[in-house]
Amino acid sequence: MLIFTLRRLNLFIFTFIVLTALSFSLSFLFPGDALTNLTGQVNATLEQRALLIEEYQYNSNIFKQYWAYLTHLFNGELGVSISSHLPISSEVINLLPATIELSVVALFIAMVIGIPIGFIAAVNHEKTIDNSILFISMLGYSIPIFWLGLLAVFVFSIQLGWLPSAGRLSLVYEIKPVTGIQFFDILLSKSEYKWQAFQDATLHIIMPACVVALAPMTIFIRLARTAMMEVLDSSYITAAKAKGLTFWQIIYRHAVRNALINVIRHIGLQFANLVTLAMVTEVIFSWPGIGRWLIESISQGDYTAIHGGLLALSSFIFIVHILTDFIYAALNPLARERKHGA
Amino acid sequence: MARENIYQEEEFPSPLKQLWYNFKEKPMIMLAFGAFIALIVLAVFAPIITPFSSSQSHLDSILLPPAWNNNGDVSFLLGTDKLGRDMLSMLMHGATFTFGLSFIIVIISAIIGVLIGSLSALTSGFKSSFLNHFLDVILSIPSLLLAIVIVAVLGTGLSNTVLAIIIVLIPQFIHVTRNEVKKEFTKDYVLASKLDGASSLRILRYSIFPNIIEKIITQSTLAQSAAILDIAALGFLGLGAPTYIPEWGAMLSNGIDLFYIAPWTVYFPGLAILFAVISTNLVGEGLRHALKQRKEH
Repeated sequence: MLIFTLRRLNLFIFTFIVLTALSFSLSFLFPGDALTNLTGQVNATLEQRALLIEEYQYNSNIFKQYWAYLTHLFNGELGVSISSHLPISSEVINLLPATIELSVVALFIAMVIGIPIGFIAAVNHEKTIDNSILFISMLGYSIPIFWLGLLAVFVFSIQLGWLPSAGRLSLVYEIKPVTGIQFFDILLSKSEYKWQAFQDATLHIIMPACVVALAPMTIFIRLARTAMMEVLDSSYITAAKAKGLTFWQIIYRHAVRNALINVIRHIGLQFANLVTLAMVTEVIFSWPGIGRWLIESISQGDYTAIHGGLLALSSFIFIVHILTDFIYAALNPLARERKHGA
Repeated sequence: MARENIYQEEEFPSPLKQLWYNFKEKPMIMLAFGAFIALIVLAVFAPIITPFSSSQSHLDSILLPPAWNNNGDVSFLLGTDKLGRDMLSMLMHGATFTFGLSFIIVIISAIIGVLIGSLSALTSGFKSSFLNHFLDVILSIPSLLLAIVIVAVLGTGLSNTVLAIIIVLIPQFIHVTRNEVKKEFTKDYVLASKLDGASSLRILRYSIFPNIIEKIITQSTLAQSAAILDIAALGFLGLGAPTYIPEWGAMLSNGIDLFYIAPWTVYFPGLAILFAVISTNLVGEGLRHALKQRKEH
């Protein structure tokens, strides 16, 4: 496990360097002055600018500049937004939890619905059920997410009026943000309308989360189906059959557990996909997350915001990536002992 | 002794032919393949066969519903949008932009990606490991997010969207090609040509490439469905095609404010995207299935 951890750490450091180098080079690639793009100080006076040049080592070579940039990054200074003049780091801290909340709920929905369906398809391999599940999952995978979101708003909010169409929580409830995750905040608050607020937040998250979850769900169906089919082909299942276990005993005690491990391995990769979908969905449902903010800042030419948003989102994805790797290694001893390139 | 077989020669289909025989067995897949070909034809000939120009606005018939509606007009089969443009013509022109461009994008990025990928498979040691890690980082950033950032660097617009998606797709092709070439290099037939004294480049060109081309085509269909969705998503977000270009995603975002009054301006572009993506995915699925079957025989 130690060697595994060290190897992961190595990968993490490398990724971090590449990612920061990429985002650092963005400031040169964006139109306009590189220092302004990095700090967001558009209307800086000459003295302020001289100070910034000193701070960011702007007259030294590129490596010193990069180092100065890294130091600023570690101190949590990402500059100020060009359009709103608020510090980027505080904006990111305000917005990222909403995106995390949405994507985690969506991931949960996708897994809870997708994996069992995939198992059902695998058990009924090459029967009508299997084929129809595969076809429906193909359909779900192909639907453009923004269209699906619009249709969902049209049907469930406008025509049926069941679910609210935008935002995270009705403005009636006053909840003080503590953790940023809405559900925790509501539970922590001392409001007497706590439960109403909790219900309202749940109603708000159902539709966007389901829209985000659809495409990953179809992928989970496929992953679970393949994993289950592989497991059912293996010889320990034959051995279990020979022992005389019933079908459900075999499925529940042997097959499901081993198949789940293989599915968990892919969660990290799917998560990147899921966050992309969440970004587009945030625009449609006016969800106050980082994706909507990022897309808005592109049309405003707010380069510090784009830079900060990219960094925040990709490090978030990467952390999830590494976490799932660890969970997978903890669950599956085979993954820990692979030799090179694990 | 009488021969049961009338024909003297037994036919051994070439691998490509065998793939085709396996591919065409499923009617569903053939239907999708037909739709795929039809979309390509439409993308090429749209300007000739559309009833109206996509930018011509008919001011006396604004927001006309589709022809099967009571208020519809049969000369505008799928209705008109808020500027009086014919929906059917716009959708047909849109095939050129959304579907045709995605096709070109995939071809360009496949060529570049396969070239880099196969050359990088020949390297080993530090360079190889560096490239591997670098690709991992790039692939862990969501493709749409990367495309959005590239569009932010280059500026919005259709040509920059195309460029951004090409750049985003290249690493995927590098990854697939690299893995496949590495896998083939360990096989015996490569060793045989190595013993014959063939150089690595020659092995790559004459021994390995014919064996991995189908995998690359399969990856291309995956990449194309992603490219269609990305072009449309960027158009929808207002970062891709400008609103006067009848790109399906941009058309969809045009229709949003009138969704309640004129839902067909949102339904049809979405259905068009869905149709294009499904037929591409089904063709890819059929290819994968046929490849698997050929391998099992």
